[in-house]
Formats: sequence, C-alpha cells, structure tokens
Amino acid sequence: MASVSTPRVDEVPDKELLARHAQGDPHAFAELVHRHRDRMWAVALRTLGDPDEAADALQDACLSAFRAAGRFRGDAAVTTWLHRIVVNACLDRIRRRSVRPATPMGDDATFDAVAPKMPDPTDAHGVSLDVRQALTHLPYEQRAALVLVDMMGYSVDDAAAVLEVPPGTIKSRCARGRARLAPLLRQHRNRRDARNVGGVEGGGAPR
Amino acid sequence: MKSPHLDYDTLADLAEGLLEDDRVASANAHLDTCAECRERSADLVDVSRLLAEAPLPSMPAELAERIDSALAAESLHTATVVSLEQRRKQRHWRVLSAAAAAMVVLGGGAAVGTNLLRGGGSHDGSASVSSPVTDQSGQAHHPLGGGPGGTAPSEATGAYEVVTSGMDYHAASLGTQLARAVGDRARHLAVQQGATVTSVQQCVAAVAKALKPLLVDQARYDGTPATIIALPGPSAGRFDVWIVRPNCTPQDRQLISHTQVAG
Repeated sequence: MASVSTPRVDEVPDKELLARHAQGDPHAFAELVHRHRDRMWAVALRTLGDPDEAADALQDACLSAFRAAGRFRGDAAVTTWLHRIVVNACLDRIRRRSVRPATPMGDDATFDAVAPKMPDPTDAHGVSLDVRQALTHLPYEQRAALVLVDMMGYSVDDAAAVLEVPPGTIKSRCARGRARLAPLLRQHRNRRDARNVGGVEGGGAPR
Repeated sequence: MKSPHLDYDTLADLAEGLLEDDRVASANAHLDTCAECRERSADLVDVSRLLAEAPLPSMPAELAERIDSALAAESLHTATVVSLEQRRKQRHWRVLSAAAAAMVVLGGGAAVGTNLLRGGGSHDGSASVSSPVTDQSGQAHHPLGGGPGGTAPSEATGAYEVVTSGMDYHAASLGTQLARAVGDRARHLAVQQGATVTSVQQCVAAVAKALKPLLVDQARYDGTPATIIALPGPSAGRFDVWIVRPNCTPQDRQLISHTQVAG
C-alpha cells in the first residue's frame, strides 16, 4: 500500500489519456490539452498571426478534439492528430474571416510583391515581431508548412501527416515560403552583414 | 531575374532537392563562381534560422482558463453520453460531474492563482471556484472551527475543510508542505460548492474511515491535479497521507500515492 499502484497521470502516454477520455474519464482530456497547450498555442498563433483569432481557433480546436476523440485513429501520434485539428480550425477561421482577407490561398497564388512595411527594426522585440509580421505575407498553406517545419521543428513527413498532403508538397510550400520571406527578413541578417557589425540583433536596416 | 543569377525561388528549391538534375548541376556551377548568389542562398538559411529561433509563446493564462472552462462545460454536457461506467444514479452522476468541472477549472496553476486573487479579499473561506454546475444537491459541509495545527476536534462526525491551496506537492517535500498547509489554513480558500464537496467527501470518507482528516487539499502533486488527504499518523507529528486523483470515488480511489511522513 505504501507505493504507487498505478502510473501517475503525467506518466500516462497520450494515447492512453485519449482512451481514458473516450471511456468517460472527465480529466483525461484536460490533462492532454494541458500537456500540449503551449505548442498548440504556438501553432495557432503563428498560423493566424492574430492573438484573438488564434485564441478562438484554439478553443474551437480543443472542443472539436474533445468530441472527435472517439474517432482517433491509433496509427497516428496524438500530437499529430491534435495539431491537425488546430491547423484545420485555423483554416476554418481564415475561410470565414471577412476582415482583411489579405493572404491569397493556394500554392500558385500570384507572386505579387508585398511591400515590406516592417516595424521599426530597433524595436524591443524587433526580430520576433518582424518574423510574425513577415509570416502574415505568406499564403496560409506556406505559412502552416513553415510554422510546422522551420518553427516547430517537425520533420517534413510529420508536417505532411498534420496537413494531410504529400511530403513533396510540404517541401515545395516551405521552399516557396522561405523564398518569399528571405527579402522580408534580410534586415535581420547580422552574419556577414557589415552594416550590422557590432550592433544588436536587428539593429541596422539595410535600407 | 534575367541574369544567370539564381533567384530565391530557385535557390530554395535547390536546397529542398526540388530541382531537376540538370538544373542542379548548372545552379551549383553558378554558385561556385558567384558570391552574390551564395549570399542569397545564405539568406534562405537565415530565414529558417530566424524562424527556428523565434521564442515559443506560452499560452496566456486567461486563455488556458477559458479553454479549461469550455472543456469542463463540454464534459458536463456530454457526460451522460461519454460515461456509461460511472453513471449509476442521476444524482450521483451530477455530483461526479461537478467535481470534474471544479477540478478542470483548477487544472492549471495559473487558474488557481487567479482564483486566489479573486478571493483575496475574504479570508473567511468564501468560494471562488467557478463551476458551471448549478446543481446544489450536495450537503453543505461544516467548516472546521478548530485552530491551526489540526488538532482533532470534538465533533464525532469529523467535519473538515476542503481547501484549494494551489500548492504543488512533491514526494521529497511532502512533510513540510503538509505542515505548512495544515498550520496555515486561514489563507486558503475553502471550496463550498456543495456538490463538489460532497464528491470529495465521499472519497475522503472511503479513505479516512473513522478518522478526521487534518487536511483535504484539492491541489497538485508533481504538477498534476490531485487531492491530498492528510490523516493523523501513528504518532504525533506524523501524517498518514493519501494522494488521489481528482476523480476519486469510493468505488475507485484513483490512488496516486499513500505514504506516511513527518510534518
């Protein structure tokens, strides 16, 4: 009696938590969300750009996942499944968004030049803000791919599983996205950039 | 670009292995001789680096609380569908659900902190735990009149307070944490949600038998929600501690740990 008889909740694998939830354990799902919330939040915030919309999307996603847990296919990782639901909730938001339909959809969206209206690069959180701002210039699909692969560290295959597209499509979206971001973020290159030598990160704008 | 220079798209495709073989060869040949294009290629590497280095944002506490509450409400809403196992009588079920909702609300340290703040003005134990449950079928409990230290009162029924200290208990520090919590009860919030308390009481009764708990704290243990039930130990200054999950019921205590520690 003196020792632990069952694994502690935080040692229970994701799939087991999901199974417990499906069986009626009222705490299992909350624990699952608690465990992954920061990464889910990061995906939503970065994919949508707007904190309020990201919050709404994430709440939608959590409730969808709560209801859909019984249909979880055991062959995927739970995090993949969760992030797919988050990404889809974000996509729903974008589709329904009436304000600022700024970002064209689709990989073959016109490569129209986006005027780089960057915030003051000497701003305190300059780089962070600029990254977020620059991401909003990408079509949703490219942004989602880059968020998963470059920002969250997903492998191409895992990102493909989340977004339910072939790996080659992920590679292509990442390449398109990086190509478009490169001129926007160029000012933050302090490596080999003489104009930034000795300055703080983002301290010098090339223009 | 009309020059033989390589544009960002070509360079990005090259890096991802998306170019056809003959173009790969010519692109690499060009890169060997063109510093400008090598620089542009480095720009692309930097894009990935800048993206990777962006700090991971933490979910704002109020959003975490909002989502926990939404899930708790959903849990209540779908309770009869989801749970066949635990549903016995309707009333009993509602009691369990209420406990679930309360614990989910308490699920994050941040949420607990907020509750503490909200309740900060009243140290008389007014409840600030929000629960979507309106069912008040549970029995109101009688707050313990005894002073700090947890000495056994004369009341035979073993009335005790259910508190939410917000503490995260750990095995290594359990004794000192308990001693502090037991002796410092005035600062805690008593949960007075009738149904919630009833559910906890049923669990406590199953664990404590005839003993009167020195402390029942709906808090955390090693970071996860847990109810800490401290009973008088075999000798003075020792606690007999049961740590159970929030969904503890008399039938299934959901034991995390049972141990005895010195306070």
